[in-house]
Amino acid sequence: MTQSTLATLSAALVLIALVAYAIFGGADFGGGVWDLLARGDSAPRERDAIAQAMGPVWESNNVWLVFVLVIAWTAFPIVYAGISAALFIPITLALIGIVLRGAAFSFRSHYGMQVGAGMRWGHVFNIASVITPFLLGTIAGALSSGAIHVSGPPLQVQANIWATWTTPFALACGAFALGLCSVLSATYLTVEAHANGSEVLTQTFRSRALIAGAITALIGAVAAALSVSEAPVLWRGLVGQALPFSLGAVVLGLVTAVALLRNAYQVARVLVAAETACILIAWSVAQWPYLIVPDVTITNAASPASVLGPMLIVSILGLVVLLPSLWYLFAVFKSKPRARRSTADRRLTTASFVASLQPVAASGERPSGADAASPADIHRSSRTRDATQFQAVVAFSIAVASALLITSASTVLRQRYERSRMYARMHPAQ
Amino acid sequence: MSSDVAARASLGVSLAFHIIFAAIGIGLPLMFCIAEGIGLRTRDVTWYTLARRWSKAAGILFVVGAVSGTALSFEFGLLWSRFMAFSSGIVGLMFTFEGFCFFLEAIFLGLYLYGWDRLSPRAHWLTSLPVVITGALASQFIVAVNAWMNTPAGFQLVGGKPVNIDPFAAMFNPAAPAQALHMLVAAYQVTGFAVAAVYAAGMLRKRTDAYHRYGALLGMSLATVMIIPQAIAGSWIGEMLARQQPEKLAAMEGLFHTTAGAPLALFGWVDTAAQQVYFAINIPDMLSLLAFNRFKATVTGLDAFPQNTWPSQSLTPIAHLAFDTMATLGGLFLLVPLVFWFVYFRRHKTVPTARWLLWVLVVSGPLTFVALECGWICAELARQPWIIYNIMRVSDGVSITPGIGVFFFVFLAIYVALGVATIALLRRLAREPKTFPEAVKQGVTVEQSSGSRDLGSATS
Repeated sequence: MTQSTLATLSAALVLIALVAYAIFGGADFGGGVWDLLARGDSAPRERDAIAQAMGPVWESNNVWLVFVLVIAWTAFPIVYAGISAALFIPITLALIGIVLRGAAFSFRSHYGMQVGAGMRWGHVFNIASVITPFLLGTIAGALSSGAIHVSGPPLQVQANIWATWTTPFALACGAFALGLCSVLSATYLTVEAHANGSEVLTQTFRSRALIAGAITALIGAVAAALSVSEAPVLWRGLVGQALPFSLGAVVLGLVTAVALLRNAYQVARVLVAAETACILIAWSVAQWPYLIVPDVTITNAASPASVLGPMLIVSILGLVVLLPSLWYLFAVFKSKPRARRSTADRRLTTASFVASLQPVAASGERPSGADAASPADIHRSSRTRDATQFQAVVAFSIAVASALLITSASTVLRQRYERSRMYARMHPAQ
Repeated sequence: MSSDVAARASLGVSLAFHIIFAAIGIGLPLMFCIAEGIGLRTRDVTWYTLARRWSKAAGILFVVGAVSGTALSFEFGLLWSRFMAFSSGIVGLMFTFEGFCFFLEAIFLGLYLYGWDRLSPRAHWLTSLPVVITGALASQFIVAVNAWMNTPAGFQLVGGKPVNIDPFAAMFNPAAPAQALHMLVAAYQVTGFAVAAVYAAGMLRKRTDAYHRYGALLGMSLATVMIIPQAIAGSWIGEMLARQQPEKLAAMEGLFHTTAGAPLALFGWVDTAAQQVYFAINIPDMLSLLAFNRFKATVTGLDAFPQNTWPSQSLTPIAHLAFDTMATLGGLFLLVPLVFWFVYFRRHKTVPTARWLLWVLVVSGPLTFVALECGWICAELARQPWIIYNIMRVSDGVSITPGIGVFFFVFLAIYVALGVATIALLRRLAREPKTFPEAVKQGVTVEQSSGSRDLGSATS
């Protein structure tokens, strides 16, 4: 395959990861937005629904972002370095948001949401969830605006560190991203709330999805109008080569609204995800072949084929392992609760298995109470028990030790091999 | 603060913070995998209680590790954009591998942490295996990147640009295997000792129930298993340094002159201006032995290199002291498990409850983290001024953006806040009741349907 084909494929991979991040991770940011806006009597229930929906999956959703970064810097080193340098401020702020959002969400769930420390972390979670997608949107806007000049290596960057991401267009992009995350989240939450049998919550999230959707559409129209003068390359693309996707995004948005109005939540969930994908594809196709308008294109920024080839192969093999695992994660936690309940009756879960075990250790060996066994008894019983457990621990330890020894032995051999290869390379005559 | 000092301080703080959580994130899954495996086999509820506790702690620690790791991947670009522009194509494949590992780890950790009331006992235990494997693998790839900066390979330098890039050759650079093994084993040691310290502290407060004894037993077992691999890794790294980065070894050891039968200077103050090591305990021929496995082997000193490539005057003594602290503590950590097992068998196979030994375990726990940090500090300081050895200086790799000083203080504050919050949460977790189905204790409705209990949302 040629260099430019590989570069295009790599760009497509970045786009796929970006779409996945928007569809999955974006909804988690939206969850924080709705958590912030939860008011009144039903607020605790709304927050619980959001936390339950995010709990098991947000971390893996967040990894899509890491994936985007890694693929981007491998395939387009100059782009990653250039964007980081030119947009140092919004990226740093977004990073603070990403760090605090994740940590705060997890801390809050451990403290409990309604108590002091939990509530404070809840505020952090809310604020970070609003700021981060907004900033990520402004970054996307700045990349299309044509005000960032990058060349290298050695890296040369010309851009105003404040102006590029604070133009009306970039700010509109930020607001659009924030709105899109909110719509995604509210739409997904209708499915979750409906499946949990809570009609009130379902209706709440449905109306929020519709209102947020209308506002987001409006912001999108404003951003598109602003792009005519502020990001002409993008605008020409949106009405030119990316027209099918731009129109598709508009149509899908309307169809999503119809689906929500007709209470077809499952359909709406799929549609809103497709809508998000369509918007991102439209954006990237529209500014094709630019990665950073106006200097950096997919071809002139790409790593050599010797880098792109292995990276693509590794990524495809990785996805073959990753996607089934991801599917399993979502199947376990996002399956219909009714189906789940019926299987729970038949199938043994770990928790019920443990509950069925005789709690020998807990009752027999607590010397704290007044009726505790005598120290001699404890000593005798702990002797036999420790010795039994010791065998199991030894068995596992041997397994681990042999695994590590095999690994180190194989790495020693590998290094010997590499050393001989290097030697052969340095002394080709021999 | 100048840009490169601020950038180094920022990344230094981030990594010093991240390495703790990363190490536990590698080690703790192995602990709960083993504990739950034994529980599944012996049907002893105590092992399940331990696994459950560790999984909860891992949940908190992994989140902090994950967000600080995400921060790192941004910081590479934000703080070191010129370094990344040069090298990210070469090392990108390692990051790609690592990204997939991290992804799988997050997926299966999600399944493990939240799957207690969704998955069958066997399926639940099986979900811990990918966490163990991918956590260990991820560390290997990340350390390989660091090793590449020490012993760059897999490209040719033409006109300041890397050409003929071979990402696999870069991944298998000479320093990678030794460094990666050293880090992995250290992560397991740290976790083993930390866990043993927690339960030893409990036993000091007269809580000598099975829960505490098993915890200490397993922690010490892991520490014991790591003795031989760590001894191998340690000597391997010494040998590797002597061959690949003699300058770094010389700076670490304060060896100014190329010497046959070089002595090992223990502790002391390295003065690069006077080319002296003050107040050191010299062990004759020891450095030669460590480097080349021969007493009279010649070890290259700093005098073989131009002075402008030596680590700066202020850093060298710190690197030396950090190395000696790590090595001394490391030696101690090879001994402590042996003492533990000696007492264990002397006391007819019961987990020792002798107070002096418990105190040793309690003190060892935090000291393993000191050793971990020292090892890392030494490795990063002694290779200065290079960001890529003999290719690129740190000052040429740093971003030219203003405001990195502010960045440093903001992130310092964030990491302090996260660290404090994590410790507070772990302390809170330690105070929770220790029976496995916590839900029963907390008075949550327990459905008794067809003999099994559905703990529902209470466990999530």
